[in-house]
Amino acid sequence: MIGQLRSLSTLLMLSFSRLLWSVSTLMLLFPLGGCVLFLLRRGYGRELDPLAAFADFSQEFMLFIFAPFIVPICTLAYATMSIGGDREDRTLVFLLMRPIPRAMVFLAKLLATLPLVVGLVVVSFVGFCYLAGTPGETAVRVYLPAVVYMSLAYVALFHVFAILFRHATIIAMVYSLFMEVFIGNMPGLVKRITVSFYGRSMIFGLGLEHGLDPPPAEWFAPVTPTVGAATLLGITAASVLAGVLIFQYREYRDLT
Amino acid sequence: MDLSFDKVTKFYGPVIGVNDVSCQVTPGITGLLGANGAGKSTLLKLASGQLRPSLGDVRVGQHRAWSSAAKRRLGYCPDINTFYEEMTGREFVLAMTRLYGYSLGEARRRTEAALEEVGMSDRATRRLAGCSHGMRQRIKLAQALVNDPEVLLLDEPMTGIDPAGRHHLGELLTRKAATGMTVLVSTHILSELEELAERILMIGRGRVIATGTLPEIRRLLANEPFVVRIDCGAPRRLAARLLEHAAVLAVEVRDEVLTVRTRQPDEFFAHVNALASEPDIEVTRLETLDAGADAVFAYLEPRA
Repeated sequence: MIGQLRSLSTLLMLSFSRLLWSVSTLMLLFPLGGCVLFLLRRGYGRELDPLAAFADFSQEFMLFIFAPFIVPICTLAYATMSIGGDREDRTLVFLLMRPIPRAMVFLAKLLATLPLVVGLVVVSFVGFCYLAGTPGETAVRVYLPAVVYMSLAYVALFHVFAILFRHATIIAMVYSLFMEVFIGNMPGLVKRITVSFYGRSMIFGLGLEHGLDPPPAEWFAPVTPTVGAATLLGITAASVLAGVLIFQYREYRDLT
Repeated sequence: MDLSFDKVTKFYGPVIGVNDVSCQVTPGITGLLGANGAGKSTLLKLASGQLRPSLGDVRVGQHRAWSSAAKRRLGYCPDINTFYEEMTGREFVLAMTRLYGYSLGEARRRTEAALEEVGMSDRATRRLAGCSHGMRQRIKLAQALVNDPEVLLLDEPMTGIDPAGRHHLGELLTRKAATGMTVLVSTHILSELEELAERILMIGRGRVIATGTLPEIRRLLANEPFVVRIDCGAPRRLAARLLEHAAVLAVEVRDEVLTVRTRQPDEFFAHVNALASEPDIEVTRLETLDAGADAVFAYLEPRA
C-alpha cells in the first residue's frame, strides 16, 4: 500500500513537472496575451454604466472568448499531452511496464493535470477580470464556479481523447472548434451535447441578476445554473470512469 | 522463474501476430530469432504484458504477464530510442525506479547499482538529449535492471553499442543468467546471439519453428547436411579416405581446401579425428561452415 502511494506520488510529480515545463505552457502565452490586449483595448472599466459594462463584459468576453476558446484551449493543451505526450513520444511503455495498476496511471495523470489547468484557467480568469475593472470584479465572484466546472469537464473529457486517439491534441482542437463552437451555436436542442452549452447556461443564469440580458429563447434556451453545474460534474465523473475503464483494457501496439 | 507461453495466439484484427505458440523460457539466456514480421515483437509485447493474448495464456512464473505482480518480477528494455529527454540519465533511471514504490533512499541505491552495472555511473549526469545512442541503450538497460528482475526481456539491446560495450554487456547478461535470471534477448545480430545465448527460440510467420541449443536445432535439420571445411597438407588424399566412410555424402577440393558434406557429424568428426592422427595427413584447420545461428536460421526460415 505504501509502495503504491509512493508510485502514485512519483508519477504525479513527474507528470506535473513535465507538463509545467512543456511547450504547451509557452504556447498558451499567445492566446492569454491576446486576451490581455483585447481587454486593454476594449476598456470595460471606462464605461459609465456599471450594469451595461458588466453585460458587455459577459457577452463579449465571457461568452464569446473566454468560455468557448480560452477554457478549451488551456485544458486541451495540458490534458491531451498528459497521457498523449507519453504516447506520442512512446515513453508510455516505461510507465506501463511498472507494477502500477493502469487505473492508477490514468488517475495520476489526471490529478497531475488538474491543478495546472484549473490553476491556469482560474488565475488567468481572475487576472483578466481585474484587468477589465469594475465589471470584471463582479464577474470573478459570479462566474468563477462556471469556469471551474467547465475546466474540470474538459480536462476529464480530453484525457479520454488522449487514451483513445494517437494525435489527441489535433482531434481535441477539431472537437473544440466543430463541436463546441459550431454545434454549440446551432439553434435547437442539438447544442446540449456540448460541454460549453452547460457552461454558458451557468454564465447566463448567474449573470442574470447582475444585469446580463437573457439570450433569445429561439436561439439559446439555457438550463438553470444548478442543472448546468450538475451536468458538468456528471460529464467529469463519466469521463473519468470511462477513461479508467478504457485505459485498463486498452492495448497500445505502437509503443515499441 | 520461467516465462511460459501456453497455446498463445494474438490477432490484430484479421491478421495473426503469433499463432498457437507454446514454449517455456527457462533461467539462462535465450535468444529470440526471427525475420522481420515473424512475430518477435508481438511475442515480446505479450511477454512484457503490453498486449494480452487473444487465445491462450502468457505467464511470468505463476502470474499472468498483464498483471502488476508479473511486472514487479519483470525487467524490459524496449527497442525504442525515446526517453524523457530533458532528464539526465541518472534522473531518468531514478524516476523509473521510484515508480516501483521504493523509498527515495532505496531507489537511489538501486539506481546507482544499475548504472554501475551498465557502466554509466560516471556519465549519467549528462542530459539524455545529448547522450550517444550507445549511452542511451545502457540507460535503457539500467532502468530494466533496477528491480532485480527474475525475468529480463531485451529487444535489440546491443544496437548502437561499440564492441567493447557489447562485450561488457554480454558479460553482464551472462553474470545475471548465472544467478538464475531468465533472459530473453531479441537481436538481429546472429553472431552476437550465438556467443551470448545458451538456447535459441526461432519463430517464423507467427509460429515457433525451433527451440533448443544451437547444436540441438542444427541436428534436427536432417535434410541439410553439415558442411565442413578442412585445411590440410594432402586434401585430395584425405578426400579419398573420407569418401570411404558412410557418414560422408560428398567431398570437394578447391584451391587446396577440402569441403565435406555429412549427415552424421558425430561419426564424421570421430573419423576425421582418427585420420588426422595419421602422419601423412596434417590437418591445420577444421571448421563447420553451417552450424552457426545464421546458417541454421537460413535453413529454417523458408520452412516457416
